[in-house]
Amino acid sequence: MKIRDDLKTVKDPYSGEDYVVVPPIVPDVAVIHGLRGDRFGGVTVLGARNDRLLATAARKTIAVVEALVAPDEVLPGLQEVYVAPLHIDAVVVAPGGAHPTACPGRYEADAAHLAAYVAAAKDEAAFRAYLDTYIFGPADHDAYLKAVGFARP
Amino acid sequence: MEDKPVHPYERMIGAIARLLNDGEFAATGTLSPIPAAGCLLAQHTHAPNLRPMIYGDPANRISEGLHEFFGFAQKGGVDVFFLSGIQIDQRGSINLSVIGDYGKPRLRLPGGAGSAMLYSLSRRTILFTMTHTKKLFVPKVDFVNAAAGDGDVRTPWRRGGLSHVVTPLGVMKFDREKQRLALDYVFTGGTVAQVADNTGFDLDVAGREVPVVDPLDGESLRVLRGPVLDKLRTIYPLVCRMVWG
Repeated sequence: MKIRDDLKTVKDPYSGEDYVVVPPIVPDVAVIHGLRGDRFGGVTVLGARNDRLLATAARKTIAVVEALVAPDEVLPGLQEVYVAPLHIDAVVVAPGGAHPTACPGRYEADAAHLAAYVAAAKDEAAFRAYLDTYIFGPADHDAYLKAVGFARP
Repeated sequence: MEDKPVHPYERMIGAIARLLNDGEFAATGTLSPIPAAGCLLAQHTHAPNLRPMIYGDPANRISEGLHEFFGFAQKGGVDVFFLSGIQIDQRGSINLSVIGDYGKPRLRLPGGAGSAMLYSLSRRTILFTMTHTKKLFVPKVDFVNAAAGDGDVRTPWRRGGLSHVVTPLGVMKFDREKQRLALDYVFTGGTVAQVADNTGFDLDVAGREVPVVDPLDGESLRVLRGPVLDKLRTIYPLVCRMVWG
């Protein structure tokens, strides 16, 4: 409260104790990553992430998925949960879309690429070169995957 | 493997295992390979009915996200949780947010996540650190993300608090009466003076003999480097390669 004077307290009507209450975060847009999705917006995402929570909180949610499947094939695997079309505004089919981070079950994080990113981020010119090579340079997602040397699982 | 010298992290794992009791529910959070190994070692030795919930374990199936676990902890389901910090002070407060002034920090960190809630709503919390330096163990943290116990402020919902701090040099115990940390024991090969030299606060050792202990006996070391390591490699492959090859 000393450093966050915007936070307020309320009295719990049951116990009479004072509690600090924090307003909910409502993102304008959430981008989540799923293993599979259908064209109506049903997707499966990893349960250990908070993607379903994000999708239900945001005003708009874009789901990036590894594969487009039929609605009756949007079945969560052992580590996954289902997110209903109600919460999804767009589905983007982009295999390898989590690169350079991991999509557990499909591919690991690209440690070498992440290390190169960290090194490039330390210097203005190097970072500019990184952006030109990997972000602005490639015409589309396939070109990006080619540029980073992503091997399709 | 058997002949390889014992790594300080292995002694930490042994020390953590000894702090866990059979039948308890012990949970580990993100980036916690040493506590995870401690839980597994306890389970494979004296605590076969320990229920570990290791975040990131592919065999641990949950229904949804971190808030599921947070709710479970609030309900009182967690006996032991593990936390760490970039700074830890004598009162057991941990800092995961900023180094320097909060408004103008020298270093901004990801923050405390659920640490404040878990520190007070788990039945007890064990802190672990991967180094033991004066930079880490400071007289007073720059920012309190989570407090070890009720000092100046009463938290009516508090269920537990800090029990021990396990570091590569030894173990500190939280004194509930004095609301401060005191050195409990030093790992084999170390000395009290060495711990004191690397700690930025007084360890409350005046007038008492602090024992030197090896928390990892031969059998535990064998189990650790056998089945525990096999399992740990499925959860923390990078860390395992770094420590055990």
